[in-house]
Amino acid sequence: MAGPGTFQGGTWISRFTHHHVVVFLLTFFSYSLLHASRKTFSNVKVSISSQWTPTFLNKTAVKLEPVELWDSSHLFPNAEEATLFLGTLDTIFLFSYAVGLFISGIIGDRFNMRWVLSFGMCSSAVVEFCFGTLTEWLHFYNKWFYCSLWILNGLLQSTGWPCVVAVMGNWFGKAGRGVIFGLWSACASVGNILGACLASSVLQYGYEYAFLLTASVQFAGGIVIFFGLLISPEEIGLPGVEEEESSEDDPCRPLINNTDSEDHEPNYSIQEVSTIHQPKAISFYQACCLPGVMLYSLAYACLKLVNYSFFFWLPFYLSNNFRWKEAEADKLSIWYDVGGIVGGTLQGFISDMLQKRAPVLAGSLLLAIGSLVGYSRSPNNKTVNALLMTVTGFFIGGPSNMISAAISADLGHQELVQGSSEALATVTGIVDGTGSIGAAMGQFLVSLIQDNLGWMWVFYFFILMVSSLSHFSKESDLERSQGLGYGKEPVTVENQH
Amino acid sequence: MAPAGLGQSVGWLSRAIPLLLALSAGRAPALPEVCKYCPGPAHDTSEVDHYCKQRQELKLRARCCLTKQGTIVGLDLQNCSLKELDTFLAEAHSAIVLDLQANPFLNISTSVFRNFTELQTLVLPLKIDCPGGFYAWDNITCGKDSCICHKQRNQCNNTVEPALCPENAYCVPDGPGLFQCLCTSGFHGYKCLREGSFPLLMFSGILGTITFCISILLWGTQLRKIKAS
Repeated sequence: MAGPGTFQGGTWISRFTHHHVVVFLLTFFSYSLLHASRKTFSNVKVSISSQWTPTFLNKTAVKLEPVELWDSSHLFPNAEEATLFLGTLDTIFLFSYAVGLFISGIIGDRFNMRWVLSFGMCSSAVVEFCFGTLTEWLHFYNKWFYCSLWILNGLLQSTGWPCVVAVMGNWFGKAGRGVIFGLWSACASVGNILGACLASSVLQYGYEYAFLLTASVQFAGGIVIFFGLLISPEEIGLPGVEEEESSEDDPCRPLINNTDSEDHEPNYSIQEVSTIHQPKAISFYQACCLPGVMLYSLAYACLKLVNYSFFFWLPFYLSNNFRWKEAEADKLSIWYDVGGIVGGTLQGFISDMLQKRAPVLAGSLLLAIGSLVGYSRSPNNKTVNALLMTVTGFFIGGPSNMISAAISADLGHQELVQGSSEALATVTGIVDGTGSIGAAMGQFLVSLIQDNLGWMWVFYFFILMVSSLSHFSKESDLERSQGLGYGKEPVTVENQH
Repeated sequence: MAPAGLGQSVGWLSRAIPLLLALSAGRAPALPEVCKYCPGPAHDTSEVDHYCKQRQELKLRARCCLTKQGTIVGLDLQNCSLKELDTFLAEAHSAIVLDLQANPFLNISTSVFRNFTELQTLVLPLKIDCPGGFYAWDNITCGKDSCICHKQRNQCNNTVEPALCPENAYCVPDGPGLFQCLCTSGFHGYKCLREGSFPLLMFSGILGTITFCISILLWGTQLRKIKAS
């Protein structure tokens, strides 16, 4: 059903103006900065925990003098408890982030997303500054204060993702969305690398400066977004993605369209007049009921669980299981990210070619099971392990990126919401929010399983999650064939016109 | 740990106040309180008396042997009915000779002689061990009714119990059997974890300028084109 011109690269690439490039870069880097500040937190954990604890010596009888210098901080008696608290902060963050995503999506669709995104970035930068820098400057250490700041940070950070995905969805049409979003969803990984670089460059001055640096860069990013981000092409009089697609689609489509969604047919002439300039946002409940949204949300929860577990636990697993040095394990774990970036882009491209995302997803997840089995039996060899890790990243990180970005955008743009194009952020929020709940629970479950049953069972757990996921995506295939799912979208996007 | 910190700050205060008083008094330094702790002058036969009379520039006042600047170099508190040693002694931290014999105190807590880095001769009642233990002194001689701890050792190059300081810190002797860890040059902050200072002004200048330029540029090329509708 692909129109003859759709995949001749030139057709959709030539439509891109410098506005498209700026939007791509701005959204890419705004989410990168948000992710960078999260990475900063995990990279300064060692410094923070030594700031929070007294000096520990093997000879317990000897207390180092002067006391103010070595023994004055007693937030936690030892490094283990500080680590436990930092882990708790991670979980708290993920949960409040998940809750925040549901809310932010709704907010994003009702207010100007430029303001929401800019506000989110700036305010979360202020919170991070208070968390890391201000408390240190004032020597005010309090567990509850830290917890409440991190909950607030989770809520504020969550404004980022739904808004950037929605803006990207507004600018980049269905054609080529897979590959562009695949490339674009590397922003999280780029943010990780950026955060690691920023943090390590100033860590010698004290961990508070790592927070100061990332927070101020993020704040600056928020200001730039406020002055530079066009949230949709319509703002400057360019045709929107739906308009574009309808203008280039082949003539037989409206016919299929009519047979598909007859119940929406009577509305659309009214919508055309009233909703394009003043789109009305759909409610949270309506967004949940959109076909595919719940299904993909649950699927994404399973996938993000596995994906984030890899992010959080991979260095620990490597240094624990193979007794490799922590710094080396950290470096090695980048390969998983690399696999995810390549996987997301390539699978996005393939799904563009097929104009179907579900089969690519299902195939990739099937291979993911295989790669997980393979990875769990990896020999104690860094090269082989890195290779297997890249493959695993390709088949797990890839689909994860695809659901969180491209498919979220698909779902938010589907036929049923044509009247209100402002569903995108809400839908993205729901999908990513459910995913983050899964990820938060995963952090807890992995440590539990690993403690009680060992690493092999962690992998069995991952395999179970991924298998249930393939089941989900098959179901969504079924839905599509019944003419309800997002898969119909290429046919129906032109509803409005 | 809070009491220890409190004690420390009290100790610091008790050291700082006489110093301030001495400064304010100007040329004629006031006699430190610890010299008047016990009535009468120093005993003729004491180590303090002996030490002070050997040196021209020192003079005896009350129980103390002082320099011209008023620094305590000797303190004779023998037969003073001291039941315990506490922070009042800290005033005499610069003492080289200290006589505490013929007093009924039973033990010395380790922190009493903290900061007594100059102390070379300490006379104690017979039953009392030298502070810091056997290895903190070069030799210990005991007479009929007193023991003398001679020449404190530098705890930082003590071979028996080597003092180990954490990363970025070095060892400084801090009295008999005691040492301190101070940050090596360039390092500062809690646990000496910080090195150098963050160029805050330069950083805010650069970031501010870049943000301003990009914002202007993007506003000109992007947002200005928004069509009012």
